[in-house]
Amino acid sequence: MAELWVDKLSFARGDFKLRIDQLQIRPGEKVAILGENGSGKSTLLQLLCGLLPCGGEIRYDNRPLAQIPVVQRARLFSLLPQFSELIFPFSVAEVVLFGRFPHAIGNSFSDADRQLSEQQLQQLDLLPLRERQFNELSGGEKRRVMLARVLNQQAPIIYLDEPNASLDIRHTLEIFELLGGRRETVIAPVHDINLAEQFFDRFLLLKQGRLLADVSHAHLTPELLTETYDVQVTGGTAAFTFTRR
Amino acid sequence: MKKLLLIIFLLTLIAACLVGSTAINPFAASPVERDILFSLRLPRVLFSAVIGAMLGLSGSVYQLTLKNPLADSFTTGAASSSALGAVLAIAFGLPVALVPVAALATGLVGLLTVYRLSKTNGVINPVTMILAGVVMNIVASSVISFAKYFFEDSLSSIVFWLMGGFFVVDWGKLLLCAAVLLIAYLLFAAKALQLNMLALDEYSAQSLGVNVDRLRSLAFVVATALVAVAVSYTGIIGFVGLIVPHVARSLFGSDMQQNLSYSALLGALLLVVADAVSRTIIPGGAELPVGIITALLGGIFFLYLLQTRRERLWHG
Repeated sequence: MAELWVDKLSFARGDFKLRIDQLQIRPGEKVAILGENGSGKSTLLQLLCGLLPCGGEIRYDNRPLAQIPVVQRARLFSLLPQFSELIFPFSVAEVVLFGRFPHAIGNSFSDADRQLSEQQLQQLDLLPLRERQFNELSGGEKRRVMLARVLNQQAPIIYLDEPNASLDIRHTLEIFELLGGRRETVIAPVHDINLAEQFFDRFLLLKQGRLLADVSHAHLTPELLTETYDVQVTGGTAAFTFTRR
Repeated sequence: MKKLLLIIFLLTLIAACLVGSTAINPFAASPVERDILFSLRLPRVLFSAVIGAMLGLSGSVYQLTLKNPLADSFTTGAASSSALGAVLAIAFGLPVALVPVAALATGLVGLLTVYRLSKTNGVINPVTMILAGVVMNIVASSVISFAKYFFEDSLSSIVFWLMGGFFVVDWGKLLLCAAVLLIAYLLFAAKALQLNMLALDEYSAQSLGVNVDRLRSLAFVVATALVAVAVSYTGIIGFVGLIVPHVARSLFGSDMQQNLSYSALLGALLLVVADAVSRTIIPGGAELPVGIITALLGGIFFLYLLQTRRERLWHG
């Protein structure tokens, strides 16, 4: 398991600025990042993965991210980006097997890697698609395949950028239940606040690149959401109602 | 399928040795014909096979690392900028051994210019890349043409540089090209699994533990070295590296552990056939530059790819 610390994190691109003074995420936590479009949710994920240059410090298990080689990072955390495409045709089974790359020895995958991939295919209801070409799948199917790839990486921290984008409600619920039952830390920007409240136990609220609040279930109030999204929020406990102000 | 391909390749090599301005019957060859067969035809056919393999291999790597199914040494401008370096090195009287080195230097400059122009916010736009490659080709071709007029005596014909050909072949060049091909192939084969990850978006590849910038830099240098050496000895032979990786993918899948070797093999096969055609198509023993044949095939294939992948290309 791995613990994440963030200290005086800062990033700027054009007019957009992101700053987070301090953040600590303990092993196993399920953290939803909430905020309107352009608030910096995806950027924060990319910064935590070391994909963008930034100021301040990010540490995993007390080790600065900058000092962790790229290969070792892949055993610490995995990432599902918002959009995933493949330049050339690969089968679903091959794409899921890609998730075992950080564990591959030499230039090939082991039998154990292949067995784990089969388990992931089964777990995410992908066995009927295993020989299909990834690029021929629907948006929701591609999302599930990429999620299987990410879970196949078996990293203790899983970053998922809008994991349920393009997914129907049944697969959304299945995946959130699956993630909720896992030991890994899950950190994910989520747009459906009621779903987030149902399946996550901690909420980072971002507004214009600033961490507005870092709260648990009990403190995710309509007032806080109103301030975050600039809409009128009423209700509570997985039953928020949103109306334009 | 793999065995069948190997058998077809070997039979093609044999057939290519026997055809030409004079067809040779291997069972009733005169001493002169035997001399032609082993001193001229065999090295030439092997040379065309090695150059084809070099171009096929480089195309396979370019298409993946540049995330562009239309990429090859010709469309990226790497071949023409390499030819420019070779032409200038010869024109300014550099030692023969330094010609491929100069070609590599200018080839990398050309490729990196095209790469930088086509990359915005970390995303490579395939259409911009092709446009930049076209411009690079025009600029390099015009400078080569200018150099030819200026240094008339020291340079080979302009047709050689711009359309390619196997007009002068010797065992030394053949062995050098074979050595470069072998080293490049071994380097790429050792990284085949990492190269597969580049089929994903860059963030996914990086989060899987691939140092994308380092791998891409290595791929650019080694693939361009293949192109630079090939161009230095045969001029620009376009589109081999465009066609064969796609054929290899459709026959054997996209896995680079397969695609590298089959792109090289199919590149060799294509160029051996194209060279044999170029030696026999004109009656009376005249020879056509092989680049005319590959450009004709490649141009049609390019149009096919544009038609079938238009939507994805345009949106990157």
